[in-house]
Amino acid sequence: MPPIEGVYGLLAEFNTPSELVHATEEARRAGYRRMECYTPYPVEEAAEALHFHKTGVPLMCLVGGLMGLVTGYGLEVWINVWGYPLNIAGRPLFSWPAFVIPGYEWTILFAGLSAAFGMLAQNGLPQLYHPLFNAPNFRDGALQDKFFLCLEAHDPKFSRKESRDFLEQFSPVSIVEVDH
Amino acid sequence: MHSAHHDDVHHGPRTLPAVLSAPDVVLAWRMRAVIVFAVFALLSVGLLFTPLGPQHFIRSWLMGSMTCFNFMGGALAFLMVQYLSGGKWGLVLRRPLEAMTRTWWLVLLMFLPVLISMKRLYLWAAFSTPEQTLNAYKQGLISQEQQICINLKHTMLSPTSAVVQFIIVFTFLGVLITLLNRWSIARDADPAAGTMRSYDRWRVAFENVAGPCTLFYVVIMTDFVIVFLKSLDATWYSSVYGLQFLVAQGYAVLALGVLTLILLSRYEPIKTIFRVTEQHDMGKLMFAFTMLNIYLTFAEFLIIWSGNLPDEIPWYLKRIHGGWWYICTVDVVCHWVIPFCILLSRDFKRSKARMVWLCCFMLFARLVDMFWLTEPNFKDAAGNLHIAGNISILSYVTVPVALIALWMWFYLTELTKRPLIVLNDPHTAEALEPEHAH
Repeated sequence: MPPIEGVYGLLAEFNTPSELVHATEEARRAGYRRMECYTPYPVEEAAEALHFHKTGVPLMCLVGGLMGLVTGYGLEVWINVWGYPLNIAGRPLFSWPAFVIPGYEWTILFAGLSAAFGMLAQNGLPQLYHPLFNAPNFRDGALQDKFFLCLEAHDPKFSRKESRDFLEQFSPVSIVEVDH
Repeated sequence: MHSAHHDDVHHGPRTLPAVLSAPDVVLAWRMRAVIVFAVFALLSVGLLFTPLGPQHFIRSWLMGSMTCFNFMGGALAFLMVQYLSGGKWGLVLRRPLEAMTRTWWLVLLMFLPVLISMKRLYLWAAFSTPEQTLNAYKQGLISQEQQICINLKHTMLSPTSAVVQFIIVFTFLGVLITLLNRWSIARDADPAAGTMRSYDRWRVAFENVAGPCTLFYVVIMTDFVIVFLKSLDATWYSSVYGLQFLVAQGYAVLALGVLTLILLSRYEPIKTIFRVTEQHDMGKLMFAFTMLNIYLTFAEFLIIWSGNLPDEIPWYLKRIHGGWWYICTVDVVCHWVIPFCILLSRDFKRSKARMVWLCCFMLFARLVDMFWLTEPNFKDAAGNLHIAGNISILSYVTVPVALIALWMWFYLTELTKRPLIVLNDPHTAEALEPEHAH
């Protein structure tokens, strides 16, 4: 893959979560969609301001769970009825109550793994490089006490001049242009 | 203390209304409960005059009283657990739970007819001495296994010891319920209310009572349900029976508690304090109880099915064969499959309108389960569910509904007697914060 060059986005730094949330709400109102908030701890208002509600994780979890159920229960049915039929205390070969526990175990195993890996995949992890780490203030502040809003360059509304002017009105501590 | 941020509606905490007592609409609900009681009581009396009417009446009375006992006892268990665990879900549920526990004397009265008609219900009461069991066996009234078991279990299962256990259980419940309810009012009336010292003092006091008493409650409740319900089948043993009831109590009380809060949240003061966050938390707890319930009941079934022993398996055979398969299936579908699938959804748990229906449905499922546990114990119904010539079996609908409606009347009355919101608790201020403040 050829290296991507040029501007990744404009990164505005704030001292408080309220300023960040306010700026994010206004940016959305102004029509920006490709943007992201970075905070040292979870700020649910920021997620709300980004209209970040629904993720694919529940669906992945459900589908994974159903796959586990079918696999676990199916395995038990196959092995007991066709694969290796054994007469156990004269019970029918298809003894459904006995298959419930393995079916259940596989369900939660698959659901748990799908949720965990699905979450990682949706977050784009593992990720060894992210352009934002090119900004020194981001490296120092994002895990400590600073709140960042990044307007990304691939937003159709993005323009280096106008977007910078737009961010200036919220009086951020700094606005940094981040390269890829 | 909340008015400082009053002007900042969006990000600041909300302010509690001046009046914290239950809205007048509770009186209207109470009236509806009375009407339901009257209608179903009349129907029950009508069924009393059908063939087999009296015996179905007393059996379904036992089922109805036991359902009310589950509400009252489950509320007490939850009340103690939320004192131990803390959390804002417990804060908003506390006053409805207290109101449920204060119906204990009504439940006590409901059980008096059961005590009086003991001989009609329990084989161990009808034949309480070795001579009587021997005669009954010779006359073919009971099996040899029943005769042996009744003699063997005589210390626990005899009219005298049943009455003694009844008195112990209800004395314990009465003392504990009175204490917790008194303290809850005294806590709000504390002159030092709102200070850290007062918070800590009451928190520790409630924890010290709730800790050991939760354990005692589980033991004593297990004893009670074994004596008054499980022992309808004198031959069967189950060590998980009490625990199943504990979970079923949690299941029913959460459904009723959430139903109460959601309906009350249309009006002040619950409107101000009941956030979607806590409703969601309670929804998750309901999901946990739904899961735990099937876990215990299925585990018991699987173990007994695997063992396939002649002194255990008949309990299930009576409840599966001869028409009971339908009830058994409806029980699993209504008690577990439907609530389980629905409660998986986050949006559903956060929707007030939809949760109301689910709570009602779960309460209905409790009745199906209780019916399945009760009626097959009797010789004429074991493995033989039929309605032709047996119309009085409909008492299992009319009598429990009438008793629950009567219980609801008292519950709603108790609900109007106290402010619906607890004040001297640090969680109150937290519950007034906006939804996502961490």
